[in-house]
Amino acid sequence: MQYIEPLAKLIENLRALPGIGSKTAARLAYHILDMEPSKAKALAKAIIDAKEKIGFCNTCFNLSDVNPCSICAAANRDHSTICVVEQPRDVAAMERMRDFKGVYHVLHGVLSPLDGIGPDNIRVKELLVRLQTTKVKELIMATNPNVEGEATAMYIAKLVKPAGIKVTRIAHGLPMGGDLEYADEITLAKALENRREI
Amino acid sequence: MNIKNMLLKNFRSYKGLQLEFSPSLNIFTGDNAQGKTNIIEAIYYAALGTSYRIKNDADLIAWQENEAVINIKFLRMDIENNVKFYLNKIKRRQIILNGENIRQRELPGNIKIVMFSPEDLLLVKGAPSLRRRFLNIELSQTDIFYYDNLVKYNKIVIQRNNLLKKIREKKQSINLLDVWDEQLFDVAVFIWKKRYEAVKKLSDFAAVMQKNISDNKEILTMNYKIHNIDLLNNDIADLKSLYKDKIRQNRMEDIRRGSTGIGPHHDDIELFINEINLKNFGSQGQQRTAVLALKLAELEYIKNTSGQYPILLLDDVMSELDEKRRKKMVLFFKDKKIQTFITATDISMFDDIKDARIYSVSLGHAEVIKC
Repeated sequence: MQYIEPLAKLIENLRALPGIGSKTAARLAYHILDMEPSKAKALAKAIIDAKEKIGFCNTCFNLSDVNPCSICAAANRDHSTICVVEQPRDVAAMERMRDFKGVYHVLHGVLSPLDGIGPDNIRVKELLVRLQTTKVKELIMATNPNVEGEATAMYIAKLVKPAGIKVTRIAHGLPMGGDLEYADEITLAKALENRREI
Repeated sequence: MNIKNMLLKNFRSYKGLQLEFSPSLNIFTGDNAQGKTNIIEAIYYAALGTSYRIKNDADLIAWQENEAVINIKFLRMDIENNVKFYLNKIKRRQIILNGENIRQRELPGNIKIVMFSPEDLLLVKGAPSLRRRFLNIELSQTDIFYYDNLVKYNKIVIQRNNLLKKIREKKQSINLLDVWDEQLFDVAVFIWKKRYEAVKKLSDFAAVMQKNISDNKEILTMNYKIHNIDLLNNDIADLKSLYKDKIRQNRMEDIRRGSTGIGPHHDDIELFINEINLKNFGSQGQQRTAVLALKLAELEYIKNTSGQYPILLLDDVMSELDEKRRKKMVLFFKDKKIQTFITATDISMFDDIKDARIYSVSLGHAEVIKC
């Protein structure tokens, strides 16, 4: 079926979003057309506002509408402990925990030669500059536990260690609240490998 | 172990198909291009999570449909299990085992299979990759850690090869190699150890099989051959340091070629009959017998490591065997109570086999014509 042009455009734009196929895109587009004009405008404005007002914090490169971001500006946080993560959504995950009092550094990616991503394509240089200008005691590498995340953590550790900064890697193993018997064998083996003395 | 029943929805040529299987012999007959192999493919997919015929899952979904379902009930140690797949053209595939979502890495080994198709006839004569694949499929089903490490290894090699090309083009620094190499060593050594053990065990089973099929004339031996690394006294304990040295020595060559020249992805299994290299000097008859012996050995290997015989899938290969071997094989499966799925265009070759369930397949339908 041929859609009228403005509708076709809307559908195409929605379809470009992750996880949305042509059927869902059409359903969303018709829903938007059925909305009150004020609500449709509010949706459009929300998209534009988010895009225009949110940028990167110049210190940690997390998403923020102020610069420096609220975490980097907070006086009650430990600025000598930096947790290095892949994406802004990882900061959100860490913050949900409410337990980490340090600050962050967002790499915006991991080393992946396959995708043409080298150290210059992620925020490694910015991290090194940051380490030179502020006094940092510990770097916590919280990249994902896959081969790319591991390579990135190892790479940064190698760069930073000669400067005498302690570099740690987050542990992987059993999820909390989960029963041992339900853990898959690979997770269990990892947990056993990373056991500690009590 | 055996499969009780299978439901296919929008899978290949099947809009909706429900089949109850015999725990013994299941034979699918019909003309070419009617969908016999699709049934075998669905079982294979349920076991390993990939098809052996195509790369892209979307091609398994019926034309103009968005979602396909495979739903299988199987018995393992006499306990009923259920595995369900939702394949979707847009959304991520879902695998549900006994009501819980699982990941691909948790799938292999639940339904264990041995597959024998016309392509396998090249197993002895063909490229080393066929023999590595044979070993990989066997090990992935019996050792969950093997599969995990294999996936990891392949990822590291792909990343490393891409990096090597970029270093060659002077787009990246050579120092970046270390972080991939260090991950490579442990995973490669793990794979080597497992493959070594498996080939040793497999070799014993295959020797017995070859002896039986050849009427005691032929002694088959197998040897796992690591490409470009010589192991003194076959001592795999030194493998890690040997591999480290080799990878470092070979760096410049790897950069020049833009690929990793040494590792489990270059190895081979050597086969000998009466101490003569089978690939280079064996007769066609000997090679064919050895393929059969290897497949039968795989059945025994899985039984030996997991306690139960796997399911046997024979896609279009019965016509490739002479009558004597065919009869010997069928008797073997029946005797050992191995659930077997066979596709064949010519049904007459099974005329004298009793208590097989025979299905007629035509244009996306399958029905039982003999129980």
